[in-house]
Amino acid sequence: MSYTSKLFPNEPTAPKVVTESIPGPKGKEAIKTLGEVFDNRCTYFVADYEKSTGNYIIDVDGNVLLDAYCQVASIALGYNNPNLIETAKSDKMIRAIVDRPALGNFPGADFETLQKDLLKHAPKGQTQVWNGLSGADANELAFKAVFFNYQSKKRGFNKPFTAEEEETCMLNKAPGNPEIAILSFKRAFHGRLFASGSVTRSKPVHKMDMPSFEWPTAEFPSYEYPLEENEEANKKEDARCLAIVEDRLQNWRCPIAGVIVEPVQSEGGDNHASATFFQGLRDLTLKYGAKLIIDEVQAGCGGTGIMWDHERYNITPPPDLVTFSKKMQSAGYWFHDPEFIPNQPYRQFNTWCGDPKGVIMAAAICDQIKDNNLLEPLKETGLYFYSKLEELQNKYPKLISRLRGKGKACFLAFDMPSGEKRAEFLGKMRLAGINVGGCAEVGVRLRPGLIFEKKHVDIFIAAMEKILPTL
Amino acid sequence: MSISESYFPEEPKAPELKTAIPGPKSNAKLAELASVFDTKAASFVTDYYNSLGNYICDADGNKLLDSYCQISSIALGYNNPVLLKTAHSDEMAVALCNRPALACFPSTDYYEILKEGLLSVAPKGLNRVCTAHTGSDANEMAFKAALMFQANKKRGGKPFTEEELTSVMENQLPGTSDMVILSFEKAFHGRLFGSLSTTRSKAIHKLDIPAFDWPKAPFPALKYPLEKYEAENKAEEEKCLKELEEIIVNYPSKIAAAIIEPVQSEGGDNHASPAFFQGIRAITKKHDVLMIIDEVQTGGGGSGKMWLHQHYDVTPDIMTFSKKMQNAGFFFSEEGLAGDQPFRQFNTWCGDPSKALIAKTIIGEIKNKDLLKNTTETGDYLYSKLFAISEKYDTMLNLRGKGRGFFIAFDLPTPALRNQLLGECKKLGLNIGGCGDQGVRLRPALVFEKKHADLLSEIVEKAFAQL
Repeated sequence: MSYTSKLFPNEPTAPKVVTESIPGPKGKEAIKTLGEVFDNRCTYFVADYEKSTGNYIIDVDGNVLLDAYCQVASIALGYNNPNLIETAKSDKMIRAIVDRPALGNFPGADFETLQKDLLKHAPKGQTQVWNGLSGADANELAFKAVFFNYQSKKRGFNKPFTAEEEETCMLNKAPGNPEIAILSFKRAFHGRLFASGSVTRSKPVHKMDMPSFEWPTAEFPSYEYPLEENEEANKKEDARCLAIVEDRLQNWRCPIAGVIVEPVQSEGGDNHASATFFQGLRDLTLKYGAKLIIDEVQAGCGGTGIMWDHERYNITPPPDLVTFSKKMQSAGYWFHDPEFIPNQPYRQFNTWCGDPKGVIMAAAICDQIKDNNLLEPLKETGLYFYSKLEELQNKYPKLISRLRGKGKACFLAFDMPSGEKRAEFLGKMRLAGINVGGCAEVGVRLRPGLIFEKKHVDIFIAAMEKILPTL
Repeated sequence: MSISESYFPEEPKAPELKTAIPGPKSNAKLAELASVFDTKAASFVTDYYNSLGNYICDADGNKLLDSYCQISSIALGYNNPVLLKTAHSDEMAVALCNRPALACFPSTDYYEILKEGLLSVAPKGLNRVCTAHTGSDANEMAFKAALMFQANKKRGGKPFTEEELTSVMENQLPGTSDMVILSFEKAFHGRLFGSLSTTRSKAIHKLDIPAFDWPKAPFPALKYPLEKYEAENKAEEEKCLKELEEIIVNYPSKIAAAIIEPVQSEGGDNHASPAFFQGIRAITKKHDVLMIIDEVQTGGGGSGKMWLHQHYDVTPDIMTFSKKMQNAGFFFSEEGLAGDQPFRQFNTWCGDPSKALIAKTIIGEIKNKDLLKNTTETGDYLYSKLFAISEKYDTMLNLRGKGRGFFIAFDLPTPALRNQLLGECKKLGLNIGGCGDQGVRLRPALVFEKKHADLLSEIVEKAFAQL
């Protein structure tokens, strides 16, 4: 019996849509009420999480939807997973919630165990973790770690600050607050706070009207699909993009301390790149003394069929920092070089320094994935899903193109001819009982949980078969 | 029955000391922990299972009276039974295992949780909330709200221009913004890049991190006792307000918002009068600058009012919170502060229902047990006890926070003496925190009562005697 059947014996066998629209009357009312106190303009529907189970999310009108979006790629193991409920009710979780520590000052006696439980799941080559509270937070904490490291290398790791540095930093000026940069890629998404917003280059609406650091961008490869038929062109594309990276590292007007990249650019359109590209990037960062940060916020924690997506590229030496959030239900960065821990206390510091609640949940999720060997069947499901989508792409070439993500489990995406068509498709899928999300201008991205099976793929594909001819 | 007795019948009657602090077990644990966590800032390793009420228990079984409370973030004492009940509830388990992307797929009960919890204590006039994850996050989201609001106003509600749409992708004007956030000297608003640019507390908080070149205004340095220096302090505040207005008028780019703590906490527990805050409100209104009050540390009841700025009779445009609420975010009123379009003020989680549930419970208990009254009364009592000590010891300087509940602080003549005092207190069984260069700040939970105040002042007096 599969993990899904075993854990979710009452999972619905099919979606069920009981209202003419989603949200239905109750949902509309609930959204309106919520709007009195909370911004409801992004709300698709109001969900009844107590009733949702496994791969199915149930809304307040009683509509039962197969969920291939999973809270913007952040639910790993299905709704109301009984093993996670057990974790939620465990003594250590209760204590973590009731007595939330300022971890930097007063770590709990069990914190070492919690950290070690989490570190068992570190990406290859990483041995340490620093905890944050969201993906944007994790990325910015990683930037801070890179900047501390960069400046202290320049200064001498244990050398004291100069009086000038101490004075100027209180005025937000160099040399105390140096002009150094993080390089990111066009179409990247790394968060929405001020530094993470500065490296995010996905859409204007993500960035507009925010002051930003004038940091450099390079280009992320845009491949032709299918990959097998476009090897030569895509190889050239890698070389073109790497040349731009090298140009920035050589010529940007201030030092580039770090480079941040997603293994698959997700918000930016599910853009993939090759092992050659990632290794090339690693080589360039080493050549020019910049640190490499891999942002696994969306791709990490098993979604691509391996625990950390960048591991498939066997980047050597491993990246300096790897950030995570979303499916991990905690956030932070992995690292291995002890000199990423600043030489003095209270530099990489804040009140909470993470949250044991998140650390416990993250370790429990990773344990479930590993102990139940969830990624092997997920890879199978993904290949099956891909082949079914490929058939649809062949049948509806005007509607579906650039199908991508083969071999990366269900981390699949395809493009539609326009934003309007895509919106129509997503809306009709929802009414057919399937919750699915878009990315960039015309992309459709699949982000089911790790417990998605062939039977769910069949339901998904059947809905597409019905809808595509109506577009 | 007293509040702490009703919550914690087994609470220790006094600190219990078995070893030096940190003791052998703490030290051994810290050495082990150092292999997986930066322990350079750790005081001791805590046994949260055996901590109770106002007492924090360390790995060696020492039980310290806690007047620091996880840097001012524990409201109801350790292992509060009502919070335990919430943590054990099915509602909590559902929240933990099905964490929603709140803006897209909010839960059926989120409205109620907000309405009965956070919004039931929203400051007057601010009836909407945006939830976040930490104090830094809350402040930065407030900055975004202010910046987008001001930009939209400047644009006259018109759509983005083609030039804005293109330039913003290159981090260039006009799409990116040259508007700024003003903060005050010695302020602390967090440690991410936007919030850190407004933090002006200490070099160690800021060194080596690129920052925005944003303006700062002076915060009054009041002299104590207040009664003795009324005229000087009034002049000092007027001088600061005058400088603020000059900065706003002369600054080369638009100041979108000014952010200020009602009491600067990390920066040294610096207070100012209601008149000063009213002055800021008047100046910011006059010059179309939004006013953000940062209640991250001061909020949640520690001052005897839910939000400390309620002592001042001012209404800001935005008020941020975190720490004691265990949930972060900001309150606001103006609908435009939610962003003129959806998906501008947005992120995956937009908060966390498990934290909103905890906040709701904390708020419920503050009301049920009238903890603000306890804080006000115990605070006054504690102040009077400390005042008596200050009369006796010349080394206790600038006692402040009278009438502000537990938000009491004092200085020592030097940083070294301050650190010595903190150490002496710990040896005597009191966990107490510093702030600024030579300040000592009191941040007990709202369940701290007169008997605890007696113990605290006894220990503080002994510690002063040993300096």
